[in-house]
Amino acid sequence: MQRARRYVLVIGGGKVGYFLARHLLERDYEVTVVEKDPTRAANIEHDLGPASVMRGDGDEMAFLATTGIERADVVVGATGDDEDNLVACQLAKRKFNVPRTIARVNNPNNVKLFRALGIDAPVSATELLMGLIESELSGSELVRGIAVKASGANLVDVALPELSSLVGKRVDQINLPDGEMLVCIVRGGRPVIPLPDLVVDRGDELIIYSQTLDVESVRESVSH
Amino acid sequence: MGCGRVGAELAKRLLSDGHHVTVVDLNQASFDRLGSDFAGEMVHGNALDEEVLRRAGIESADALCTVTPGDNRNLMIAQMAKDIFMVARVITRIYDPIREQVYHELGLETYCSTTIGAGIIYDFFTTGTNRAHSEPTGTKATA
Repeated sequence: MQRARRYVLVIGGGKVGYFLARHLLERDYEVTVVEKDPTRAANIEHDLGPASVMRGDGDEMAFLATTGIERADVVVGATGDDEDNLVACQLAKRKFNVPRTIARVNNPNNVKLFRALGIDAPVSATELLMGLIESELSGSELVRGIAVKASGANLVDVALPELSSLVGKRVDQINLPDGEMLVCIVRGGRPVIPLPDLVVDRGDELIIYSQTLDVESVRESVSH
Repeated sequence: MGCGRVGAELAKRLLSDGHHVTVVDLNQASFDRLGSDFAGEMVHGNALDEEVLRRAGIESADALCTVTPGDNRNLMIAQMAKDIFMVARVITRIYDPIREQVYHELGLETYCSTTIGAGIIYDFFTTGTNRAHSEPTGTKATA
């Protein structure tokens, strides 16, 4: 049976909303961008076609009702204002029974709050960006955490410090705290499966699965 | 939250009733509306920021009212106050009547100044009564 095209409603046609819509259209999603600024809306219409944009306020209930929101599979709050993304997603969920809501979170401190307030997937670009930039900074002990969906689990990438006691140990000799697991070793830029008899070398990066969001404690557990 | 005309007026009234009042606003100049003799506290900052709310003493607040010019801003602050800081009474002003209805149904204490304002003018036209000035001045709010 052929699957129906998924309908994604994107609230906010700034850079994030625009590129997201373009990307999804290329992947054969049905997409409508809601944008209140007339110039931005006109630009999107010019680039992506008239069917892909509606001009109006994504938090105005009367307007939202005209966007076909009730048949949307996903609503994405993609504006630069957290409060607008929150309310758009809450209205989508609670008033229009949209099954899945994704909110762009600009202030990383709001991720938890959004989840508590019923947003299925709060996505903090700021947090991701900070992690990526941090990992690109020179220095050996930098850690990056990648949240595994909304599960509260993390993949943490630890570049072993020169003096780490783990260097020279076999994988099966490494004792990680409960809730943490070594899932991959990056050696010379290539992933290596951490079989029990593999010996950890200087310069290795460890990818560790952690059930907590406490990236620092993961670093602590392998850095000494 | 919000020191516009409504926020400033409300703060002054509550203060003169003897309450401990803190006003939060993004814009320092807004506090001018309170007058130079205002004896409450003024916190300059973004009320969407938990740190600012803490600085304003939200953890010990009995009640919070959000009257910033943004409906969504008010709704977000109200939900932070209620769900994170467990403030006992949270009152939210919303301009958009439909949004007000939705959040009212979801359990927030909301009021829509658009509907109320329109109702007063409507009464004036249909019955000739001016509800805005029909009550004796100085009546104390019991809310």
